[in-house]
Amino acid sequence: MARITLDPITRIEGHLRIDAEVNGGVVTNAWSSAQMWRGIETILKDRPPQDAWIYAQRFCGVCTTVHAISSIRSVEHALKVDVPLNAQYIRNIIMAQHSVQDHIVHFYHLSALDWVDVVSALKADPKKTAQLAQSISNWPGNSETEFKAVQQKLKSFVETGRLGIFASGYWGHPAMKLPPEANLMAVAHYLKALDYQRKAAQAIAILGGKNPHIQNLCVGGVATAINMENLATLNMEKIASLKTLMTETRDFVQQVYYPDMVAIASIYKDWFKYGRGVVNYLAVPEMPEDTKNTKFALPGAIINGGDIKKARIVTNHQDLDLIANIKENVSHAWYEGNGTLHPWDGETKPNYTDFQDNGKYTWCKAPRLDGKPVQVGPPAQLFAAYAGGNEKVRKLVDASCAKIGVGVNDLHSTMGRLGARAIRAHLMADYSLEYLDKLVENVGKGDKVYANPTEIPKGEYKGVGFHEAPRGTLSHWIVIENRKIKNYQAVVPSTWNASPRDDKGALGPYEASLVGNPVAQADKPLEVLRTIHSFDPCIACAVHTIDPEGKEITNVKVM
Amino acid sequence: MKTLIFGAGNLLLSDEGFGVHFIEYLQKHYVFPDDVTLYDGGTLGIMVCHMLEEADQVFLVDVIEATGEPGDIYRYEKEDFMLGKLPIKMSPHQIGIQEVLALSEIRDRCPEKVTLFGIIPASYEAGAELSPLLAGKLPGLAELVVAEITASGSPVEKC
Repeated sequence: MARITLDPITRIEGHLRIDAEVNGGVVTNAWSSAQMWRGIETILKDRPPQDAWIYAQRFCGVCTTVHAISSIRSVEHALKVDVPLNAQYIRNIIMAQHSVQDHIVHFYHLSALDWVDVVSALKADPKKTAQLAQSISNWPGNSETEFKAVQQKLKSFVETGRLGIFASGYWGHPAMKLPPEANLMAVAHYLKALDYQRKAAQAIAILGGKNPHIQNLCVGGVATAINMENLATLNMEKIASLKTLMTETRDFVQQVYYPDMVAIASIYKDWFKYGRGVVNYLAVPEMPEDTKNTKFALPGAIINGGDIKKARIVTNHQDLDLIANIKENVSHAWYEGNGTLHPWDGETKPNYTDFQDNGKYTWCKAPRLDGKPVQVGPPAQLFAAYAGGNEKVRKLVDASCAKIGVGVNDLHSTMGRLGARAIRAHLMADYSLEYLDKLVENVGKGDKVYANPTEIPKGEYKGVGFHEAPRGTLSHWIVIENRKIKNYQAVVPSTWNASPRDDKGALGPYEASLVGNPVAQADKPLEVLRTIHSFDPCIACAVHTIDPEGKEITNVKVM
Repeated sequence: MKTLIFGAGNLLLSDEGFGVHFIEYLQKHYVFPDDVTLYDGGTLGIMVCHMLEEADQVFLVDVIEATGEPGDIYRYEKEDFMLGKLPIKMSPHQIGIQEVLALSEIRDRCPEKVTLFGIIPASYEAGAELSPLLAGKLPGLAELVVAEITASGSPVEKC
């Protein structure tokens, strides 16, 4: 038996350690450990509730916008504040564009190197690469000249020993299967993708005033004044530039990212067999289309045992069962006691031991729904929308499964998660433009309202802000007392997925997904990275220190 | 010449947010010409690639892990910290600044001049304020950066 310790997992946000026991080339047990103390919620205590979102969006370096949305919704839920249609549409566009940016970066920059062998791209014939790329997409950027230039540039980097950004890849690993031409195509798109994540960031900045960290939210709406003739407000000129940016990004997602994903999945079809793990899912409804958060374009659902047909559809954000049944257990986390608490009563009392296989081994609490571990993320949202009868989702999921040659049930897997994210990006790129049209149409009808100004009243109020973020269901829980925050807890997608064992010994989604995973070379556990990266981990916090001494801080230990 | 002043860090972890506090300090005390951009980058990694690529010269301000006392400020030029000049470093985060610059080089868009001012933190405790020690370092570093930008042909004024 070999015990592999990967510490930290690279190409993610935050510090995650994974331990895996390997027997006969297969993982038989696993532990997921968040190695960073996360007490930043305590900063919110005693502050004014209307400012919570400003602080909350600094929780993380990548998912800034999503925390802002969840936070503002928690206050609006607590105080039962309506949100005007224009504000919902503006928020929907921001959410959709944030998703597009996030998914592009995840696929190309954070996970592609698990599947793409950069060094092999040097052996590719650029002409054949162009033929391959043109056979899967009519995107104008797929020319022989472009691929040749990228290959030249790459060659000069390899020759000087400066692979830089690609240095954490496992070149020549036996589990790498793409032909050189596909590798070169992927590398070229990897470099190009940066220009398109930027366009999404610009769209967010136009609406949100700033990126990262949008500035335009307020309790009861947005602070984005709308006047089509005024220079300083959201006007026709800004709408036009939003449209251009979002159309260009949509074309990239639908003509490059999505076809690349389908092509890679078709070659790595065996990866629909691995990484299943926890197949209970949760997704909350998203893209509100009324002022009371009761009508949504994308339904949510609770799915047990992978049975999509028996999904319990969640139609709105006031679902009392859902609100009551989310709890967090700390039996295996570095907090005091072994208890289970509802987030409104949540505590953050650290109790560090050391890494104990059968005891406490992580800073991550174990969120449970109805006492059970659940997986959140793009597959959960697609399954929910599929079960809930969203036609767009059904069409996209069925079409991509048919192209790859798999069924919907094969999406409970490592490759399924990557595929689901590409489908979701495709969907979100469309929704961005759809909500822009709806916004213009609504303003055209004469509705100029963008906020319901709200005073925080005296007394005690409890609220939850649900948001279906790129990484999955996010919820912020707030308790307000006498115009101040009395308690605040964030139950984030990565704590659902990176969760440790609970008091019943049930493994969290990362842990369960690794069991049965193949490992060809214990000292190069590429397959473990593939499965963990497929969840798009983001371990909150985001401590961000430059280490100019350049000491090697990633360690793969095989015992 | 287009200049970018990039402040990095997490505002909720006291000194870890030094770069962001630095940007706020500059906004409060100086008036910058149009060709200078002040950027609160938070803790974005690769998603800021384009901000760097659009500038001719970049001043990065961040906390560093280095030998020395809290509050010590080190200065590094591009050639001091680009990948290949140092042993391979793998950031536990998304993709670190060295990798982002290497990527820009592959894209032929790396800015000519990149200077990093790194400060050794005194505290990583949860909190939205700087430690008094690091707060005291803001004015001096601001004067230094402002003088360099003025010398490069973009006059900065006090407000």
